[in-house]
Amino acid sequence: MNERISALMDGELDDRAAGELIQRLAAEREALDTWRLYHLISDAIRENQPLPGRSFAAPPRARRWVALPIAASLAAVSLVGWLAFAPQQEPAQPALAQAVAPARPGAVPLPSAADDYLLAHQGVSPRFSFHGMAPYIRSVSDAAQGTRR
Amino acid sequence: MIASRAAAALLVFSAGLAQAQSPEALGWLRKIHDATQNLSYSGTFVYQHGGRSETSRITRDARGDVERLEVLDGVAREIVRTRDTVKCYLPDSRVVKIDRRTADRSFPALLPERIGALVRHYDIELGGMERVAGIDCQTVVLRPKDNLRYGYRLYADAKSGMLLKAVTFDEKGSEVERFMFTQLAIGGVTPEQVKSRHKARAWRVEDTEAAPARLAGWSLSAELPGFHKVIELKRRMGQSRPVGQVVYSDGLAAVSVFIEPMQGDAEPLQAGTASLGAIHIYTREAANHRVTVVGETPAASVQRIGNAVEYHRPPQ
Repeated sequence: MNERISALMDGELDDRAAGELIQRLAAEREALDTWRLYHLISDAIRENQPLPGRSFAAPPRARRWVALPIAASLAAVSLVGWLAFAPQQEPAQPALAQAVAPARPGAVPLPSAADDYLLAHQGVSPRFSFHGMAPYIRSVSDAAQGTRR
Repeated sequence: MIASRAAAALLVFSAGLAQAQSPEALGWLRKIHDATQNLSYSGTFVYQHGGRSETSRITRDARGDVERLEVLDGVAREIVRTRDTVKCYLPDSRVVKIDRRTADRSFPALLPERIGALVRHYDIELGGMERVAGIDCQTVVLRPKDNLRYGYRLYADAKSGMLLKAVTFDEKGSEVERFMFTQLAIGGVTPEQVKSRHKARAWRVEDTEAAPARLAGWSLSAELPGFHKVIELKRRMGQSRPVGQVVYSDGLAAVSVFIEPMQGDAEPLQAGTASLGAIHIYTREAANHRVTVVGETPAASVQRIGNAVEYHRPPQ
């Protein structure tokens, strides 16, 4: 599937195949996300490329599709990615670990009055109109378990 | 060639968007809404979040507009809601908490005429048919247009419109929590079935005495996009604490800001964010008050609202 999306962007599909794939893109979220991702990658690569023949006097170039094969772009990204993450120097490793460690800064246990807040909140949530009382299960004992953990 | 294909792709996507807000999908939301209000039912449902699950029984008598929820595992708890009160029975501690619903309290309800307004914040589209608890369901997907709110995948009984399963998902599409009926019987509910099992004689009564009020001097320096103030209340919490509550909503998700004076606080304030399924609770101090923000939104949303809370002494 990903190769076909890449081929579509590179203009390597015939009209029928392209039409079918576009229909799938419209119907499948995952395929659409891939399509968007490939465009982002392609945009990012093009923005980092020096524009040939551009001088100070030249007007800013309008963004347009440059026929840079997406497969080649992906290879370029992998290479850049690999270079960026390769441990070039000793301190590189701890720095990376540090950046990953505080996943949720400021995370605290549920307040002891969480059950009261939840009870008060559920009563005013519009979701009541769809769920009836179901969201009320998200209160007291669950909150108590949370604080006891 | 490429340009024409890109244009073709764009056309297909715009068509997809137009379809996303189809009257059919909104019609299903109305159907779910009406089923929730008009059907009597009794069933078992499971609430799952973060690898944990809780089972409860829920029974609704539509004629009397009474609903009862009984939690089947963990700490015993029963909640009975009538037209004007919500009573939470805690048999282990022999406490009954009473939350009164004044006429104004119905205001945050998602009324059928407001369902259409949800398209400002969500792409609403019809999904496929799926089976839940042996029943064929129509799925409806509400995909948020920004990362300030969660998305929802709703599974409604294709016949009655009754909501059998609801999955909340975050911006990455990962599941945050789910409510799901594992068994459901529609109709045949007697008034006896929605009465509390507890007589609650000699239990301690904690009445919230909630009533609409103005919280003078308190406001937000900036509202969260799409979330508007829907109601302002004063209530009691636990045994005595007086607390102000301001509710903001985008029509579906709601965030409550609780404000209470710090004096005589037994518990030191621990600033930060706690979570429970799709609910985030953010606590901080402002003008010598404890500010607690509770919302079924991503953590960043309750934090943004919490950090915008400010106090200006009202003019005498």
